[in-house]
Amino acid sequence: MLKASNTINSNGSLAKKGSTKAKFVGALSSGLNRRAFLRQSSAAILIAGIAACKPDIKMPTTAEPNQPTPKTGLTDRFSFDSHQQASIKAVQIQLFPEDGDGPSANDINGLDYLEWALTDLDNQEDGDGDFIQKGVGWLDSLSEQTKGSQFIKLSLEQQNEVLQKISQSSAGENWLSLLIYYLLEALLLDPIYGGNPDQIGWQWLQHQPGFPRPNDQTNYRVFQ
Amino acid sequence: MNKTLEYDCCIVGSGAGAGPVAFELAKAGHKVLVLEKGKWYKEKDFRKDEQLYRHSIFRSKIADERHLLEEPDGDEWSSDTTSQFWGGNIVGGASNFMSGYFHRLKPEDFHLVSTFGKIKGANTVDWPISYDDLEPYYAKVENIVGVSGKVVKHPFLEPRSTDDYPFPPTAEHPIASWFDNTCNQMGLNPLPMARGILSQPFNGRKSCEYSGYCGSYGCASGAKASSRAALLDQAVATGNCEILTESKVYRLTSDNKGNVTSADYFDKGNQSIKVRAKIFVVACYSIESARLLLSSPGEKHKEGLGNNHNQVGKNLHCCAGGTGHGIFQFDQFSQEQVEQLKTRGPFFNRALQDWYFINDKKAFDKPVKGGTIDFVFDPPSPTADANDQKWQGDNLLWGTPLKQKIKSHFTQSKDFKFEVFCDWLTNDNCHVSLAPNEKDKWGSPVAKVKVGFHPHDLKVASYIVKKGKEVMKSLGAKTVTGNAFTSPTSNLIAGGLRFGNDPKTSALDSDCRVHGTDNCFVTDGSFMPNGGSVTPTFTIYANSFRVADKIINQLGK
Repeated sequence: MLKASNTINSNGSLAKKGSTKAKFVGALSSGLNRRAFLRQSSAAILIAGIAACKPDIKMPTTAEPNQPTPKTGLTDRFSFDSHQQASIKAVQIQLFPEDGDGPSANDINGLDYLEWALTDLDNQEDGDGDFIQKGVGWLDSLSEQTKGSQFIKLSLEQQNEVLQKISQSSAGENWLSLLIYYLLEALLLDPIYGGNPDQIGWQWLQHQPGFPRPNDQTNYRVFQ
Repeated sequence: MNKTLEYDCCIVGSGAGAGPVAFELAKAGHKVLVLEKGKWYKEKDFRKDEQLYRHSIFRSKIADERHLLEEPDGDEWSSDTTSQFWGGNIVGGASNFMSGYFHRLKPEDFHLVSTFGKIKGANTVDWPISYDDLEPYYAKVENIVGVSGKVVKHPFLEPRSTDDYPFPPTAEHPIASWFDNTCNQMGLNPLPMARGILSQPFNGRKSCEYSGYCGSYGCASGAKASSRAALLDQAVATGNCEILTESKVYRLTSDNKGNVTSADYFDKGNQSIKVRAKIFVVACYSIESARLLLSSPGEKHKEGLGNNHNQVGKNLHCCAGGTGHGIFQFDQFSQEQVEQLKTRGPFFNRALQDWYFINDKKAFDKPVKGGTIDFVFDPPSPTADANDQKWQGDNLLWGTPLKQKIKSHFTQSKDFKFEVFCDWLTNDNCHVSLAPNEKDKWGSPVAKVKVGFHPHDLKVASYIVKKGKEVMKSLGAKTVTGNAFTSPTSNLIAGGLRFGNDPKTSALDSDCRVHGTDNCFVTDGSFMPNGGSVTPTFTIYANSFRVADKIINQLGK
């Protein structure tokens, strides 16, 4: 197959609006690179391989990424505190709601999956956990400023208004986009990784997995 | 303390260029050592798991080694490091992750200048061999690595010494018959595509299991004709071939006659080890083979092995072309047709070569070389597909609208793809050199890759992409997109050490021996003066079998 690279140079022609860095590694990645460019504009989809358009532009205040920790297993978890957990869960259910058609963020183990995925070496190098944690603080500041209370104490409607508001900024949009990225992994990756319980995501989307599927002995973390 | 190993032949790399030499020499009784910088994964490791590919499990990590890439950026050149050119850094190389579209080149591809004349600004040359010299080796590849297909008579068919492929075609998706009907109505010649994938068990390899997860996924059945599954496993079984993994060759040393005396590599523990051999074969992918030669100066090779005429790394080429998609909306088809469209597993397996040569006065003032359109599926990557749905124009979508968009994408439409393959004209701005300030984890300068393109390529590619879109529309796709591109493909790169009769304009002789040496050969895609308008793997295999005969002949003397 052709693995065409997409030209995103310093002019950032395809990069996201408001981005401060056009990441060449991602921009020119082949279809297999997870650090794929931020978004594929519909006019310029040259590859549709296994790239997963993970947003990699962080808040300007993002600190240095966490130091990678030693090899992780399938049971490790990133440590959010209980307030962060509750806040992320509340955001996730807004992003992927219980709406009567298809599984919700809770049904796909959205938070559990996220906490596990953030122990991944590549995700740690990207500083995702740190970025998500900082975002919670930011979300609460905005909630208190505009609605007078922490995010989790707002009504669903107020929460949605706050999310709409933060999505107006590039950093806020990237934060939400990153949470969606992990939710969609929880929806569609093999259940071995903790999301997609009983193949609930595959069933909803009538997706037929490949075979042989990964298992406890043979999955990407074992090779990593 | 440094160790020394001794063999008849030492091969650097284990991909498509390496496999045939290892296989042929080992079968002929010669002692062969293959040095591979990556690990050795087997069928059992190639799970159909998006995560394996997203996390570069089978490819070099950018922190360890990378390329410095220079691309045209207006009137300037951009400069950035990238890991995109690592196609597969394990035993078998990128052939583990190919789709296996096996087209032969056509006789004219060996003589583009004689056939079509020179193009200003392009460095195209005729090959020192003809199609007839390579034909027996295409036939050999079909038999030994296993090619499945069906020969149909058509106006563009290459001359063949055998009537048909040794294996029947792989199973076909129902869209293939839609395609045949549509193309026939349009007056085109729909061609079944031969595949480097077994349709029947062969030599201890299973036939294709049609999981639908092909292409970029490694093959769990052994059906895909990777160098590893199809050749190296058998070479090792002879007892004459040894494969050392996690062994990174960083230099070839040469003597006062100019001949190579050792390949020096770092083992897993970063110990430097010397391999002595009668013959050395370099086959570690176009960019890296040129880099290794440039990193190997010697008494008779002051500017790098074979580089006395400054030809090493020159005339690199990517694959010009483009891609397009046709989205088929289920609400426009009958239930029966929808069931057909939803089929997962069998292959599309169709190609058009009606524009391999273009003779259209309205578009080009004289006949020009065109290209191939392959009609294919992308390897499934559901999380990436879903993630693509989260943007609506410039805005991030979430909540029920996002869920509905994802659901509709997965359950209400089917995406078919076409890929256009054209020649990337060699030119003075497309080459490999050593990066001045960037080193890999072993301390060697990385390759700097400059990828300038010739505007003619874009014109040809755009012409053919337009044809591909017309076919998709006629097939019934509601939405059809297509783009020609000028960015380098991250796979399908060749050239950089082109072969020829004149050392002033080539890096290798017609046997693919490095100029100025008697005993060093290059057998990956580097030798190709032009890529042909197809994926090059089949031709790399064929040429490597051809060179293997030359090497066996030389060893026998």
